[in-house]
Amino acid sequence: MKLKLMIIAISLTSFSGIAGGFDFGKLIEEQLKRDSTQPAPTQPAPTSQPAPATQPAPQPAKPKFDPFQFGMTLLKDYSIEEEMRIGHQIAGNLLGAAPLVKDNALQQYVNLVGNWVALQSGRTDIPWRFGVLENDAINAFAAPGGYVFVTKGLYRRLNSEAELAGVLAHEIAHVTNKHHLKLLKKSSVIGALGEAAGRKVEGSDQIVQNLIGNGAEIMARSLDREAEFEADRHGMVFAARAGYDPWGLPNVLQGLATLPNDSRTSLLFKTHPHPADRLATLGDAVGERFDQVSGKDLADRFYRIR
Amino acid sequence: MKAVWLFSTALATMMTLSSALAAPGTVLRDEKIYAQAASTSKVVASVKRGEAVDIVTKQGGWLKVKAGKTEGWIRLLSVRSGTGGVGGAGVGDVVGAATTRSDPTRVVAVAGLRGLSQGLDEEQLKQAKFNTEELARLEANAVKPADARTRAARSGLVATNIAQLPDPKAAASKSNSPWEESY
Repeated sequence: MKLKLMIIAISLTSFSGIAGGFDFGKLIEEQLKRDSTQPAPTQPAPTSQPAPATQPAPQPAKPKFDPFQFGMTLLKDYSIEEEMRIGHQIAGNLLGAAPLVKDNALQQYVNLVGNWVALQSGRTDIPWRFGVLENDAINAFAAPGGYVFVTKGLYRRLNSEAELAGVLAHEIAHVTNKHHLKLLKKSSVIGALGEAAGRKVEGSDQIVQNLIGNGAEIMARSLDREAEFEADRHGMVFAARAGYDPWGLPNVLQGLATLPNDSRTSLLFKTHPHPADRLATLGDAVGERFDQVSGKDLADRFYRIR
Repeated sequence: MKAVWLFSTALATMMTLSSALAAPGTVLRDEKIYAQAASTSKVVASVKRGEAVDIVTKQGGWLKVKAGKTEGWIRLLSVRSGTGGVGGAGVGDVVGAATTRSDPTRVVAVAGLRGLSQGLDEEQLKQAKFNTEELARLEANAVKPADARTRAARSGLVATNIAQLPDPKAAASKSNSPWEESY
């Protein structure tokens, strides 16, 4: 609660600092409009009740600004619709940086494996979509709303379906734990809003784009180390629940641990703890817990590129 | 000329053999080495964090390793493959930290050689423009959960109930991770 108040205080000071130029009014207006059209808010937030039912006509020149309302808007949990809008924008931008591998059989295979693992994650309120990106970098990405991507560079290093399941499960865990939404909410909201001031993005949602920053840069930002460790723990469990050999993800991490830091791995290593740290931390949590768990490797079912 | 060819062939063969037989690894925690790939089997040796081992083969959650003169099985998560040290989190893990840190000069070089390198970097992500066509392809290849269930069953995959792993840090210090909803 103390933290909440502090963030509000910060948001207020930053607002008075930025002033003018950027269209905060529009963002709030949008938020309010959405709030007032929601029949029943999922989270009870008595302090963030929208303005009276009779909405005043929008005043583009000088929008009304209620600092308290604005603070609450930033702190409120994103609705599923908002989460999906944010994810949609990030995924569309990421695909602008790296398109999908032109192999529909591969893409559908990854969706079949990914959906099966996602079914074990407990999040069935979002439609999951998986894709392999045409890029030699070794990396994987998750965006809010159920978007998961693996680069061709990483996919090529995999030896079995259990390993693919492990990688996808780690990314699925980022989504189920809303790590990126927390990152947005926690640190970047004010900065991203300021930075994106005046930027125009054609044919896409300006409000959401303002929130996530430039292009898909949020995919280049590091999550908290603890968030990565958490995704490793949850990912290993999701893959095991799906009936796969639970050692798929650890095996992939073992492989990553031998790679040099070069153009293919620099972003992965910059945004994640070193694989050795991830193995050690995962080991702390696992101990003997998987000694009696066995699963399928499905190396023979693994779809190999070309 | 022939001698050089013979020599290089021999060298290549040796390298292939040695890499097939053993790969270097580093022990991540003080750990036991067992006679079999099971903690119920006999303990044949102990190794200390940071010790070098040779990884011979793997089996499930176990690695067969050579540590000095002894050979035996160690938990997969107690060893890292490669020689870069035990990681960046511990004290004095200079080697691991060095491999973790991103090299700024290298990043610049990558950005400058965009045409040659396909690595996805921060700048490319920043400049990325919304791609409607590719997003439509992504949607077109999406599958229904029911299809995934059918396919999993056909592959012999059975969903099992497995409890979440505890956060070792939270258990140790009681302080909540900043990623938990603690505020």
